[in-house]
Amino acid sequence: MADKSNDPVVLWQTMIGEMEKGFNAFANRAMASPEFSKVVNQVGGTAAGAQKQLGDLMEKYLVSMNLPSRAQMVSMAERLQSIEGQLNEIKALLHQVHSNPNAPEGGYAGAPKPPRTRRPSPARGEQK
Amino acid sequence: MNAAAGLDLASIPERIQSEVQRAIQRSIKGVEYLSSSGPSLGSTPKDILRVRGTMNLYHYRPVADEIYRVPILIVMATTNRGYILDLVPGQSFIEFLLKRGYDVYMLDWTAPKPEEKSLRMEDYVLDFIPDCVRRVQRDSGETDVTVIGYCFGGVLSLLYGSIFADGPMKNLICFTTPVDFREMKLFQNFADRRYFDVDRLIDSVGNVPPEMILSSFEMLRPASRAASQVQLWENIWNDEYVKSYRMFDRWATDTLPLAGEYFRTITRDLMWDNKLYNDAMSVGGRKADISRIKVPILHAVAEHDHIVPYDAAKPLIQKIGSADKQEVILKGGHVSLVAGANAIKRLWPKLDSWLGERST
Repeated sequence: MADKSNDPVVLWQTMIGEMEKGFNAFANRAMASPEFSKVVNQVGGTAAGAQKQLGDLMEKYLVSMNLPSRAQMVSMAERLQSIEGQLNEIKALLHQVHSNPNAPEGGYAGAPKPPRTRRPSPARGEQK
Repeated sequence: MNAAAGLDLASIPERIQSEVQRAIQRSIKGVEYLSSSGPSLGSTPKDILRVRGTMNLYHYRPVADEIYRVPILIVMATTNRGYILDLVPGQSFIEFLLKRGYDVYMLDWTAPKPEEKSLRMEDYVLDFIPDCVRRVQRDSGETDVTVIGYCFGGVLSLLYGSIFADGPMKNLICFTTPVDFREMKLFQNFADRRYFDVDRLIDSVGNVPPEMILSSFEMLRPASRAASQVQLWENIWNDEYVKSYRMFDRWATDTLPLAGEYFRTITRDLMWDNKLYNDAMSVGGRKADISRIKVPILHAVAEHDHIVPYDAAKPLIQKIGSADKQEVILKGGHVSLVAGANAIKRLWPKLDSWLGERST
């Protein structure tokens, strides 16, 4: 078997991992200082306010141009996501019904609920 | 030791061939990656029982022939989407619970709209959660309910449980739930009261934008995103790796905005005054002291959690009033504790064995 310690791919991966850890640790130390908090909050506070004002202005502009705003697009994306989710559910349900000939007639909505009589089975293995 | 001495010379041609094949695969799969959508997530069949603004209550359809008497209500963190607990078949905590015979409901959140900026902590703790609990009771026909809270969903569950200490919560399970907010060192520094003007922020933006939430999470490990992209490129030939990367990446970047007033309370009461830890928390004028919670509780924490460090989560079990209480420290991080291969092996079976005997 090849010696992993000399494998250039493994060495590269180890180096990336170590660089990530090192940079994260360095950045965390730097971010723990009060100076960092002061600068970030000064810049961030101003930027957030300016961004909000610009956003409001853009929204008004887009409305006047009869174009959808970002908020409207996000809301539409959410609705699409929800429709996509429901389609996936329908697909999963169809798959279940197709592969289970004993599925209740009229679908699952009217299906009787299973009895609440379950008891825990004898201890199962678990890993820490 | 001489480097060449340790090298198996006979394996070099084989290694080169394998790397060339991977390089070709990377090019092909790289194009595929850019042109395809990720796996569909959160597709376990469910019914939507209630939608009210940012609040969504789902009921997952039972799959077992016989289920436990006590239903479960999962309270998701307000910063993230609930599908982390329902990724894909075989890697879904929800599917696991259903197969093990639990009746599962989830309180999940969508982005609060600009007009919901005035939602307060009391809306979440005294209205949304009790509303969902009542609906779970009505739908299941049972009085008792087990509550599971993930991350800040755990904090909301603790606040709910301490105010409604007389019921109907029968068991409480928290995943990586912070109690001592002083120990969230970097978040503390980001929100340093000398420099962070929460009022100015909320008054100017309304709801806290999701980009701000995401960057505060990413700043905790600023190199990790770049490193994960390098790792993705290296492993792009590996379909399983890519699938897993896409699932977790999509979820991690799908952050929700936070309602402005709610965020103001989190900053003032929890981050600045550490009221939950100091037994001084109240919600809507009602005292929320976690020592009032007496129901059985399991708290699962991760050994390498960079978002909620162990020291922030540790006091939960010490301070809670329950006699039947247990903390489990498992390998993994904030997300891998609850989802992914680690969770399948470690957390889920542990939770099942603990909860099964308390759900009859």
